[in-house]
Amino acid sequence: MDNVMAARALMGVSLGFHIIYATIGIGLPLMLMLAEGIALRTGDELYHRMARAWIRPAGLLFAIGAVSGTVLSFELGLLWPRFMEFSGPLIGMPFWMEGYAFFTEAIFLALYIYGEQRLSRRALFLCTIPLALSAALSAVFVISANAWMNTPTGFTLEGGALRDVSPLAAMLNPAFAHQAVHGTLAAYAATGFGMAGIYALALLRQGASPYLKRVLVLALAVGSCSLPFMLVSGDWAAAFLAEHQPTKLAAAEAHFETMAGAPLVIGGWPDPATGEVHFGIKIPKLLSLLAYKDPAGVVRGLNDFPADEVPDPRLVHPFFDLMVGAFFIMAAVAGWFWWRIWLKDDITGNRRLLWLVVLAAPFGLIALECGWMVTEFGRQPWIIQGVMKVAAGATPNEGIAVLFAVFLLVYILLTAGLMKMLLPAEPPTAGPVADREERHADS
Amino acid sequence: MPTLDELAAAALLLGLIMYAVFGGADFGGGIWTALASGPRKQEQRESLFHAIGPVWETNHVWLIYVVVVLFMVFPRAFAALFIALLAPLVIALVGINFRGAAFAFRHFGRQTGRGVPLIARTFGISSMLTPMALGMAVVATAGGSIRLEAGRVLAAPWHWINPFTLVGGLIGMAICAYLTPIYMAVRTRGELQEDFRRRGMIAALVLGGLTTLQIPVAMLNAPAFAARLGLPRTLVCIALTVGCGLLTEVLLWRRRFAAAQIGAGATVAFTLLGFAAALYPDLLLGQLSIAEAAAPRATLLAFFTVLPFGVIVLAPSLFYLYWTFRGSPDPEAPPEDFRL
Repeated sequence: MDNVMAARALMGVSLGFHIIYATIGIGLPLMLMLAEGIALRTGDELYHRMARAWIRPAGLLFAIGAVSGTVLSFELGLLWPRFMEFSGPLIGMPFWMEGYAFFTEAIFLALYIYGEQRLSRRALFLCTIPLALSAALSAVFVISANAWMNTPTGFTLEGGALRDVSPLAAMLNPAFAHQAVHGTLAAYAATGFGMAGIYALALLRQGASPYLKRVLVLALAVGSCSLPFMLVSGDWAAAFLAEHQPTKLAAAEAHFETMAGAPLVIGGWPDPATGEVHFGIKIPKLLSLLAYKDPAGVVRGLNDFPADEVPDPRLVHPFFDLMVGAFFIMAAVAGWFWWRIWLKDDITGNRRLLWLVVLAAPFGLIALECGWMVTEFGRQPWIIQGVMKVAAGATPNEGIAVLFAVFLLVYILLTAGLMKMLLPAEPPTAGPVADREERHADS
Repeated sequence: MPTLDELAAAALLLGLIMYAVFGGADFGGGIWTALASGPRKQEQRESLFHAIGPVWETNHVWLIYVVVVLFMVFPRAFAALFIALLAPLVIALVGINFRGAAFAFRHFGRQTGRGVPLIARTFGISSMLTPMALGMAVVATAGGSIRLEAGRVLAAPWHWINPFTLVGGLIGMAICAYLTPIYMAVRTRGELQEDFRRRGMIAALVLGGLTTLQIPVAMLNAPAFAARLGLPRTLVCIALTVGCGLLTEVLLWRRRFAAAQIGAGATVAFTLLGFAAALYPDLLLGQLSIAEAAAPRATLLAFFTVLPFGVIVLAPSLFYLYWTFRGSPDPEAPPEDFRL
């Protein structure tokens, strides 16, 4: 494995790992806020117990998220010092603001988790508001830095050196808006569906209880409410890519030849050597329609660009399709669920429906990870689209493969430890468990 | 009137001091759980873990602050340091990983009763390893072993291990081990408090000894840095450090714990300030100055525009956090008021 490949692999593994915890770190605060808010407003204690039952796994997952985030901030320098030397003055600001947001999040999370004996119920609820808000903002800021790598703005180049630097213009780069909306809401969808699955499983195992029903409905409501926005912002992203990053769109859609009335290819295996897609289903004119709102629109294909400046569609198209597919799985299950609620059916006794909710549970996170891979692989071979290639941003240090091996081992150990701790321990499915003695035992 | 780059360097130093004073105490908690001894061994460990609980994530955000300020405001220094100091930074990072995980797992481990000794050992070892490696990395910026030539970073593979950096690493560890027992003495009562008081006083002597030792070591091993120790500004810092250190010992002796904890924090802050005063006006001694490393002016302005907004949000939040968890280290217990 050469150094650049090892650096990419390590960054990829670290981010892929961090994203899981960061997602929960964005989604769970919203759930806490809603549950505590409902409890305070309606006086329904079940909602308060629900929120308190989440804090144990939440504390653990947040801690791992904070640690893996620290790892990433170091890896920016350890793996990509040349990239950071160039772009630090530009994307430093969103990271700087993210630092504040994360700081705020850590403070209010600590207050919420540890403060039950020292704060009033109203104060506890009020702590969840800055918690949820700063969690969402930290996602928005980090996404701004990523969006800048796709559509770098806020500077001019003069003989390879930066001129006319404007951190504000860099932060508000063209891709920022749609990526921020799409990425942040994805975390809500992933958390909502993930938690709904856990509680649906608990309902299947333990039978109906008012507690489990309330949690399931709340979790699925959070997940489902995000879905329409995901569709709209996804469509916005596609139209944006057609204009600003045509190579990414072409790779995502396995679209090789520039043409008017381009078909949408679903599934299949793109072959960059021949420019064909094997076994894909083609829907005529749909790609043009999606990208330009015009069935006759001209969509540029990969063959239109120099071969050393396009991403490999084999790494982009399958993840793109999986992301879209995951969306439809979640949408279908959510649709059926709310239809049954509308009909005032007893959803807690509907085993087939509950199993479907369990089945749909991982797809939010799957879609999120896939979407991230589409945007990252789709930018290749650039680290800053059109400005700096990945290899030019990497560290001159040798032996990055060793580093990759070390951190892979660290992550495997952490995940194994986490599994060992989370799985046999009583999951939060046991209903209102967090009574005083038990929390004393764990403190 | 300081320039914008110098103000930014001050902000960077402030982050480093905050990390040492708060995050350092956290590492010290790990060190003292490993070194817990005597008849109240278990109580010492318990109270340390209780105290770290609510604040450890917040304390470690200061490290991210330092890294982010470095790459936003001093991108050239960031690139050079992260290329030259890859090895110690990786060690610190692995330590941070295992430490955070071990701490988080402990809550669950105690409940399920499995893996506790292994988790405790991991926590203890990584709590020593991380400040050691970070101390070595920080001190290496003044050791003269990293050279910059035409934008390229030149350093021998094992340049970061030498007497000067090793003592620096030990100082890093000693800073952590010094702060924790003094902070804990404020939060405990009775014999446990006496345990922490004694440990704090011993650690103070160790820290004082190591920083004194570093002066002859620097003369032999890092002469360029040693030459800067004689500058008036450095001498002022050294005098302040010694004064604060002695005052803290007296306060501990007289059991004025609340004041001693402030004195201990100030001692550590002045130690780092002294190091920075000797390093000034460089970030990498003799190779890269603050002005050379600084980002374009627009970035510095953006940095200082955002700073007050952050302070407005963070300062009251942090105060609320530390105020809520003042007094007894057990978050389940009601707070007691400080007795100043």
